[in-house]
Amino acid sequence: MALTNAKPPIGIYIHIPFCRSKCEYCDFCSFVPNNISVIEHYTDSLILQMEDWSEKCKNRRVDSVYIGGGTPTYLDPKHICRILNALYDNFKVPRSAEISIECNPATADFKSLRKLRAAGINRLSIGLQSANENELRALGRTHTFKQFCETFENARRAGFDNINVDIMYGIPEQTEKSFAYTLSEVTKLSPEHISLYALKIEDGTPFALKKDSLRLPDDDAVYEMYVNAVKYLETRGYERYEISNFAKRGSACLHNLRYWHCDEYLGLGASASSYFDGERFTTTRDIRKYIDGIEIIDSDIDIVVERDRINSAASMDEYVMLGMRLEEGVSVKDFEERFGEPFADKYGKQLDEYVEDGFVIADGESYRFTTAGMFVSNYILAGILDLGQKD
Amino acid sequence: MNEKAGLQALIRNFSIIAHIDHGKSTLADRLLEATGTVAVRDMEEQILDNMDLERERGITIKARAVRMNYRARDGKDYVFNLIDTPGHVDFNYEVSRSLNACEGALLVVDATQGIEAQTLANAYLAVDAGLEIVPVVNKIDLPSADVEGCRKEIEDIIGIPAEGCPAVSAKLGLNIEDVLEAVITDIPAPKGDPEAPLKALIFDSYYDSYLGVVVYIRVVDGVLRPGDRIRLMSSGARFDITAVGYMEPLGLSPSDSVSAGEVGYFTASIKTVTDTRVGDTVTLDCDPADTPLPGFQAVHPMVFAGIYPEDGARYGDLRDALEKLRLNDASLTFEPETSTALGFGFRCGFLGLLHMEIIEERLEREFNLDLITTAPSVIYEVTMRDGSERKIDNPSSFPAGDSVTEAREPIVKASIITPSEYVGGLMDLCQDRRGIFADMKYLDEKRVELHYELPLNEIIYDFFDALKSRSRGYASLDYEFSEYRPSKLVKLDFLLNGEQVDALSFIVHEEKAYARARKIAERLKENIPRQLFEIPIQAAIGSKIIARETVKALRKDVLAKCYGGDITRKKKLLEKQKEGKKKMRKLGSVQVSPEAFMAVLRLGDDDS
Repeated sequence: MALTNAKPPIGIYIHIPFCRSKCEYCDFCSFVPNNISVIEHYTDSLILQMEDWSEKCKNRRVDSVYIGGGTPTYLDPKHICRILNALYDNFKVPRSAEISIECNPATADFKSLRKLRAAGINRLSIGLQSANENELRALGRTHTFKQFCETFENARRAGFDNINVDIMYGIPEQTEKSFAYTLSEVTKLSPEHISLYALKIEDGTPFALKKDSLRLPDDDAVYEMYVNAVKYLETRGYERYEISNFAKRGSACLHNLRYWHCDEYLGLGASASSYFDGERFTTTRDIRKYIDGIEIIDSDIDIVVERDRINSAASMDEYVMLGMRLEEGVSVKDFEERFGEPFADKYGKQLDEYVEDGFVIADGESYRFTTAGMFVSNYILAGILDLGQKD
Repeated sequence: MNEKAGLQALIRNFSIIAHIDHGKSTLADRLLEATGTVAVRDMEEQILDNMDLERERGITIKARAVRMNYRARDGKDYVFNLIDTPGHVDFNYEVSRSLNACEGALLVVDATQGIEAQTLANAYLAVDAGLEIVPVVNKIDLPSADVEGCRKEIEDIIGIPAEGCPAVSAKLGLNIEDVLEAVITDIPAPKGDPEAPLKALIFDSYYDSYLGVVVYIRVVDGVLRPGDRIRLMSSGARFDITAVGYMEPLGLSPSDSVSAGEVGYFTASIKTVTDTRVGDTVTLDCDPADTPLPGFQAVHPMVFAGIYPEDGARYGDLRDALEKLRLNDASLTFEPETSTALGFGFRCGFLGLLHMEIIEERLEREFNLDLITTAPSVIYEVTMRDGSERKIDNPSSFPAGDSVTEAREPIVKASIITPSEYVGGLMDLCQDRRGIFADMKYLDEKRVELHYELPLNEIIYDFFDALKSRSRGYASLDYEFSEYRPSKLVKLDFLLNGEQVDALSFIVHEEKAYARARKIAERLKENIPRQLFEIPIQAAIGSKIIARETVKALRKDVLAKCYGGDITRKKKLLEKQKEGKKKMRKLGSVQVSPEAFMAVLRLGDDDS
């Protein structure tokens, strides 16, 4: 292949919108299917959508794949294998590619995990959220901590040597102590990667409706949980490389990094987001519409619900917004090489104002948030980014 | 001329007076309809209320007048001039001038509610103006209507005969003809002298961009014609009449003359309504009347507030808008004011709180402005140590405690009518607002009229809402200015992060200072969003801190999962946050949203 044709590699995200039950805080595109045929239809549609994109991606190497949900492992492994095979058929996925799948405890037994591993999946992300049963119940999770431990063991036995565990904080019933317990239980298992997410009550979820009756820890407690977690995880060998993501050396999630580095990716399936050829777009959350839009030949259904061409100003904003989530922050040199504009004039001077109060570190080469800064990053970023608005 | 004089016998000039919502405008509509003045197809609900705002709030803000023709049961053709009056205490003076243009008034009383504070206040005004009052019991279609009870109440409380008075449903158009006939039989015809020197009463005016100011008058004596040179007796201003005529419901109708007994308008290339004050007397410059008609007063604003554009760049637009409103509203005053917190704006003067709300709402609605309004204030009189006198309409210019020998505040006489079960609560309220009890009388077994002297600054501090909430909406209020009285007033300041915020200062009675300081400090704490640093809130009288609160520093904002690479969503969240931030006002080093600012200023004692 001629070098001039080579475009930067991409990642692929595949959305599986099915779950065994819907958690009360969940605002993602997922639902409990009432029959098996919708799953088959959906799988067919995903495969058709890959075929549609195959041509456009022929010059793009795919070096990360992420199958998320919903609960991807709610699908029978044979469906997942069909999806993976179609993926390999339609895109250039080298053996070295990182291929992740999300799963919930008790949705995948040893046999299925072994099948998934054999099909090429080399990274598993397990949604635990908490090691305390009362907190799991309060979230509406349908598994126990014990079931999680079993799933984790099975995954190891099935050959997964790169496992992430999702944990939430700021959830109902949680205390600083109970959160510390969850962290210590999880680190005992020694997963390669840990994600810590703060609960956000999203409009339209059951949690939003009963917000006042939820026994949520206050903002100060939540802050303490985070700060203590960062310290604790460091002592257990986990480095924070992004606001919410911690990994043992060399185990950072390549697919996630792609988002924070403003690299391109293609999203397949309902509600999936893409950043491709300088355009961000999002597919409908309506599964029926998604399936019809793909399956019906010459259909006039547009499955894309939102399309946004990223001009250079927006692109700079995104680069800073996403880059500042990273521990390494934004490199002044990289920014200037990428955009040909001085970083100081655009963002640097404004960020400098936060240095004195300990929210930002500026060492001349890069800008990055301190732990305190990360926790109020929205506040600070909303102040310094253009976001298409005039000041 | 003689012919016209004879016609006075066929003219009836009258107003409709009523408490708010008792159906005044609806009755006016029915009269217009029944006299064929407006074809039914032209009828818009409540045609006399021209402004959208009036129609929505169901109140008449400015007086309007309309001429109707009616062939009576006696076979004669009469001319009716209906002069509509504002139905709110803020506009009492305008009501009294409108009444002076009439010989009689229809007193509309809601058959389900009976007499209310404004019914009484307006009825007394009408009696004072020497008017013949024709009671009309309205809303007889409602199941809870008590026509006889209502008639009895009118006789007992107001002391005018009401037996057999028209009982109508303006809404359904029931018995409207009875009202028209009562106007003829019960209201006297005007008895002016068309040969005497011109005397005409100005009872309303408005600015028209083509005609200039259109002045509504009642000619008492003499005749007014186009080409006449007139003089306004109180201001001495002279103008040349360009047109005269009558007010038809759908527009002006020019004529050769307007003469004694008639109601009409004139135009004279007048540029602003401030030149044609309501209550002034119009006479001919070449043959002036000896004395003006009685009762003229220059109206002075009673309530002041700073009005600022939310977006500082729209200062010019706000000025233009205020100027446009003033063309039609001689009682609105404004002058530029600067606040360190709010930037450039205007200190505006209003007749009362309703007037203020109306102006605010018109600015926002008709001129598309987003506003920040400071807490309303009254005018205080201050005697300084050096003996000089000052009038203070802006709390931030209230002199420091030791330079003042005496401060005085305006006191009003308030009349409250309420069902008797709420008397206790309302007396507590008046007491709490430093009221001095004058008397109390039972209007009937169930209703009580309370008289209090109250400081006006307590009335503008959420009194009306408190009154309504303590009487489940049943009590009604009327008040008039009485006098200035010495009072122990202090200026309460607020400091955010150690810096005084001028727009939050206000004047309060010494006894009230602590409670109110605590309340506002709490409210500030609730409404100021957490920021990256801790914000001390302090309330102070002079250098003495009397209340304090702290807004803790922001330590956390949302760190939700940035899911499946949905960057657009994340960006929108930040955009929203930025949008909110842009609107924030910097009060010193503290960012406060306009909503928070208003929430703090709008608070009342009864707020939870």
